[in-house]
Amino acid sequence: MSDEGIGGFIIERLAGEGEKYENIDFVDAGVGGINLLHYMADRRKVILVDCAFMGREPGTMERFGPEEVKSVKKLAHLSLHEADVLKIIEMARQLGRCPEEIVIFGIEPASVELEQQLSETIAARVDDYVAAISKELVV
Amino acid sequence: MIKELNIDVKHVTRVEGHGNIVVNARDGKVEKVQWQVPEAPRFFEAMIRGRSYEDIQTIVSRICGICSISHSLVATKAVEAALGIEVSKQTDLIRRLLHYSEQLQSHVLHIGYLAAPDFFGVKSVVPLVGLAKDAVLTIVRAHRVANEWSELIGGRVTHPITLIPGGFTRVPSEQQFRHLEQRLRETMADIGAIADVVHSVAGEVPAFERDTEYVSLRESSVYSFYDGQIVSTDGYTAEIDDWESVANEYVVDQSTAKWAKWHRDSYAVGALARFNNNFSQLSDSAKALAGRFGFKQGCCNPYMNTVAQLVECAEIAESSLRIIDELLSVGVVEEKVSVKPRAGVGVAAVEAPRGILFHKYEFDGDGKCVAGNLCIPTNQNHANIQNDFEKLVPEIMDQGQEIVRQRLEMLVRAYDPCISCSAHMLDVQFVGGESES
Repeated sequence: MSDEGIGGFIIERLAGEGEKYENIDFVDAGVGGINLLHYMADRRKVILVDCAFMGREPGTMERFGPEEVKSVKKLAHLSLHEADVLKIIEMARQLGRCPEEIVIFGIEPASVELEQQLSETIAARVDDYVAAISKELVV
Repeated sequence: MIKELNIDVKHVTRVEGHGNIVVNARDGKVEKVQWQVPEAPRFFEAMIRGRSYEDIQTIVSRICGICSISHSLVATKAVEAALGIEVSKQTDLIRRLLHYSEQLQSHVLHIGYLAAPDFFGVKSVVPLVGLAKDAVLTIVRAHRVANEWSELIGGRVTHPITLIPGGFTRVPSEQQFRHLEQRLRETMADIGAIADVVHSVAGEVPAFERDTEYVSLRESSVYSFYDGQIVSTDGYTAEIDDWESVANEYVVDQSTAKWAKWHRDSYAVGALARFNNNFSQLSDSAKALAGRFGFKQGCCNPYMNTVAQLVECAEIAESSLRIIDELLSVGVVEEKVSVKPRAGVGVAAVEAPRGILFHKYEFDGDGKCVAGNLCIPTNQNHANIQNDFEKLVPEIMDQGQEIVRQRLEMLVRAYDPCISCSAHMLDVQFVGGESES
């Protein structure tokens, strides 16, 4: 779905430079929302990178914490595929399995049509996204 | 006496994909009862045309984010059937072990995250944490073990990357299998704890029965998830190659998904079908677990599908330990795979967690796919869900609209339907931000 895949794209890039970072695991969390519970468990800090409808200009990347936003997803928690990331974080907190710090990088898509490539708008900014996120990875 | 019902659920929550329930009754008479599927077709059978035999399982695994291993396995088996490839005993055992991991993953997920909220009277698993935190932690732990098990053999949790026609790109080491064995022994205790919790709310399972034809695979030596002959509780059998004349897929106005029928106007697949067809092959611990619920072969209560999944969790853990023992007793080796394309047609079936799953492919001499036909378990259940609805609504309509709606939703969830998978993304507003309306 074109720009919906930006998260996986960036993780692949960062994982390829893995030797630059210490004590960091790069995980392509795929689409299995509830699996985030397991990926987040027993970690000090989690950084989530995903396509996000935020009402911004296409291509804009925002850095925010889960408490700074509210979900307006109409089908949130309809199923495990539609599991809302914010709900999963809430559940992890209730279970006592939540990292101390969660940072979300949301990238506003230009296209989520059925395509195997990123849109030109997003593809042109991948280097900027990777550079900004990599700063977060240096402790 | 309730005379009016107007139920219009769009969409049923806690199922995979989009399904609607519509019920209208006037003057005490049911005028309309429908289970509708409005999902758009996804055209996987068109996507694979022209693609190499090597790519098929990777593409079709994307049909589902829950049962991607089943789709990958059945596709790999069908490709091997078309190309005339025999796999080694080791490959067969490790594939079965991989398949078990998905069954456990999916069953635990359905029992704990999707069905349990109904038994506890809450809307989702999130508020369930407040009511039964220890139970949710046990579910999460068992689910995590199953996920790590899938990743160990498949290369990642969903959409496995180690499966190739002829074998695997890599297999776990003996040490990794020993570690898995230890985790599985711990998980057996967790399955017992989950059974205790489900048993404590078993009184919430509605009493409803409808005589049904149940269809599944059957193997001679094991409780089948992976191979065998097609069997029915009506006493019929068929070979996997003949699946198209078992499913007899057809279209109806109320659904974008195809329906299926064999000897009656509908049949059911899934854990309850496997339980009803193959009960005698269950392990002692699985039979004992069924006994705790008074759950016997021949059960025609579709709500008991969730309990059948629980019974299968015990079966899966025990059978998996047996396979690990067998692998370790002979030693695990890396095997070289050599495959040459040829023209041919291949058919295969496995039991996905939700029921029997069929794939069929045709290849040209260069190994390019020229045609495919796939039949998923949920499509084989739609007509049966409709028939259950038609019997159930008149039986319970006196209990009022809210109970009817809740029982129908629960019934759909009991089938654990996997109507479609979709990508997910965040959709947010910044708190107090300018885009908030």
